[in-house]
Amino acid sequence: MASLPNEQNQRERRQSSDHESFLSHKKMRWLKIALVLCLITVVSYFWVDVTPRHNGGSWYGYTLGTIGALLIVWLSMLGIRKRNFSAGRWSLKAWTSAHVYLGLALIVIGTLHTGFQLGWNVHTLAYALMMLVILSGIYGVAVYATLPASLSNNSREMTRGEMVEALAAIDRQLQAAAQPLGRDESDLVIEALAQSTFNWGIGARLSGHYRKCATNRALAYFADDWSRPAGSDEPKDKVRALLGRRKSQLDQIRRHLRIRALLEVWLYLHIPATIALLAALTAHVVSVFYYW
Amino acid sequence: MAFLIRTIDLTADGREIIRDREVAQEALTIGRAAENDIHLGDLAVEQSHARIEQTAGGKLRIEATGTLGFLLDGRVTKSGQIVPHEGAELGFGSYRLVISQNGDEAPTITISQTERAAQSSDDLAGFSLARTLPSKRATAWLALAAILALFLAVPIYSHLTRSAVSEGTSTRDGAVMMDASWSTGALSQAHHSLEDNCEACHAEPFKSVQDTTCLTCHQDIADHADKPRQLTGRGPLSKGDALQWAVAKQFGKEGPGSCTTCHTEHEGAGRMEPTAQQFCSDCHGTMDTRLTDTSLGNAADFGTSHPQLQAVLFTAPGQTKPERISLAGKPKEYSGLKFPHEMHMSRSGGVARMAGNLGTKAGYGSSLVCADCHTPTADEAGFLPVDMEEDCESCHSLVYDKVGTTFRTLRHGDVEQMRADLAALDRVPRSPAGSGILRGRQRPGQYSRGGLYYQNFGRPTRSLVSINRALSPNGVCGECHVPTTTNGKPDVMPVNLRNHFLSNGWFNHEAHTQEKCTTCHKADTSKSSSDVLLPPLATCRTCHMGEDDKTADVPSGCAMCHSYHPKGAAKNGTIARASPGGDKHPGLPNKDKQGINAVLAMLGRKSD
Repeated sequence: MASLPNEQNQRERRQSSDHESFLSHKKMRWLKIALVLCLITVVSYFWVDVTPRHNGGSWYGYTLGTIGALLIVWLSMLGIRKRNFSAGRWSLKAWTSAHVYLGLALIVIGTLHTGFQLGWNVHTLAYALMMLVILSGIYGVAVYATLPASLSNNSREMTRGEMVEALAAIDRQLQAAAQPLGRDESDLVIEALAQSTFNWGIGARLSGHYRKCATNRALAYFADDWSRPAGSDEPKDKVRALLGRRKSQLDQIRRHLRIRALLEVWLYLHIPATIALLAALTAHVVSVFYYW
Repeated sequence: MAFLIRTIDLTADGREIIRDREVAQEALTIGRAAENDIHLGDLAVEQSHARIEQTAGGKLRIEATGTLGFLLDGRVTKSGQIVPHEGAELGFGSYRLVISQNGDEAPTITISQTERAAQSSDDLAGFSLARTLPSKRATAWLALAAILALFLAVPIYSHLTRSAVSEGTSTRDGAVMMDASWSTGALSQAHHSLEDNCEACHAEPFKSVQDTTCLTCHQDIADHADKPRQLTGRGPLSKGDALQWAVAKQFGKEGPGSCTTCHTEHEGAGRMEPTAQQFCSDCHGTMDTRLTDTSLGNAADFGTSHPQLQAVLFTAPGQTKPERISLAGKPKEYSGLKFPHEMHMSRSGGVARMAGNLGTKAGYGSSLVCADCHTPTADEAGFLPVDMEEDCESCHSLVYDKVGTTFRTLRHGDVEQMRADLAALDRVPRSPAGSGILRGRQRPGQYSRGGLYYQNFGRPTRSLVSINRALSPNGVCGECHVPTTTNGKPDVMPVNLRNHFLSNGWFNHEAHTQEKCTTCHKADTSKSSSDVLLPPLATCRTCHMGEDDKTADVPSGCAMCHSYHPKGAAKNGTIARASPGGDKHPGLPNKDKQGINAVLAMLGRKSD
């Protein structure tokens, strides 16, 4: 019994030392495999003499096409695989590592499969979708590697709930502080309070530029009046101070939204494009054999 | 200093009860214990939770006294500073303490209890992009459905249900929709009219393009050789090829030797790609080891492995059939003509003067050039046969008599006629002044067609002698022809000039118009008509090397000069009529009556 905690410790230590990114999983085993795959493909492309020129319809083209199609199907199965956790050789991390590197190798395999013969047809549609999926995936890996740090920097140990709650607290005070204001001024405050934090378009989220921000507008109105000294307890000054706090809280939330959007947006391309690719791939393969 | 503490309670029916009390203290304690200044009855609040004290400048300082923090404007913290004029909100458990101050009044702490709603998941969902963008799943299904419908369902459905076509319907009737999206590339020029008519070649679903389909139009294409001989010549397939064909057979390909093995389509508009050299060299590179009886030399690459060119020529007097001779070394031919090219092409001498005298009106320059005698064919690929009357007689006049102002000319090519003409010459007496022709040479300026040309026909009274003189080596005939005797009578050797010299390849002069004739044909130095002026292989190789020789001026594959399909009855470029009972396309219009366009239009359409 006494050994049990010891073993547990060891295992924990081992697991924590195992904690490496999926990119460097097993000393980049899948990167090496993908590189070898690319190398074989490129060398054989120049070595195999296809006449009159390389295209998807030669025996070599069909071979690359078969490899590519199998890869695409397998890569797209990450969506199913990630919903089941398991450890070991085919842990999700290993799977993800292979997904990334074999996906990159697909650029070489897919492009050489085309023999650089592209046109306005379903075959090139499949190729274009494949490249779209891969490029969005590259973007995804890049932002996953860089952005989470800035996400936690920005949150300054606040949870998302706290950010929303903080904004609500400021709003409640703003509501109370704005009571003495006149019609026009309170309308400005109402507008700022009523404006949704989240119902903005993808452009605003990604860029962080909220051009129709009512809080900004209200702040601009109240900030115009510099006649009274700071710290005065005129209702307007209170509202101005609270609007300023609201603005900085909003900014934090918006920075968070921006980073989240940058982190998530590629999936909105990657996943539908993958499904579209599977459809185009089916059409590509069936059409080739239909008009065989 | 003091605080105003205002407590707001709710009665059971929702009415607010507000109690104010003033506490004259510098600091307040907050907690669940009853002795605190602000007593909050919530288990989430510690017995002694925090302490508020006034600091200099009217500010308030709040410190947590226990282990838990508190909410300051929604943010969890353990200490904080507040400007009461600006206001702040503190949160302890379910209690909310709003701090405010008006003017010089004491800071007010308003205490109310809220139902501490669990963080609404709706609030947090707003952080996700899902709020802004259409769901991934919906987009995916939509794209999936659109692509499968447009690029799969529509073409297949319209292919399977295309309407039956009878004669006279337009080409668009019964065509398959959206199958242009399946095309992997533009068709070659020759097949351009089939661009929107995929089913013409792809006759049946999931069945590879069959030879019989190609032969519907290209009916007169002949086989390269007998099938067994082809198989022997090819030899056994290499392991790789055998594997390839084994796989291809599984997918319904017809096998090596089918049309599509060599002719690939959809490689882009323009001319169909010539078949690669390798298709030929696979067999012809080492064919003598397999076809031991072949007369063909091995050929794998024009630059490095190609037999010497051979020309079909007559090589000896009296030959009735030409023979193929190698152009290596100094080959000799025997055409039966005496024609030194050098003398005719010389820039000085009698011939050049003659040309100069005939002058530009007659189309001559200061000396003879090739084109003065050799006329290209209409397509400029080759040359018309040299014609005595057209090409020689301007100088080599056969005028033998003058009656009044009219000249009498011997008919070329008919010895009997010449005999008769010359024999009749002396029957008509003429004045010596008028018969200048027979008086001897005159000034060369008068030499031209219809003009004067001296020939020694002999004296008029000795016509038989003159006939013999005409046929003698120095006579009018013997000047160009080789005299001989036929059935005891003087005659000339028959002339065997050939127009085509290559039997297994072709040569197109039009493609070589940038070159001077003498670059390849050494006519300007040839002193005898027995010289074969066709260039040997080495001359071709100064520009033409094998297909893979990238340094050559003209990398040349086999198909540049050779055709795989023997030149038979059908000429290139014309499409022969298909057999009425073509299996693949029953119900085609009557091809005898309709043009090829109608045939093309009907190809692949469903029949009635």
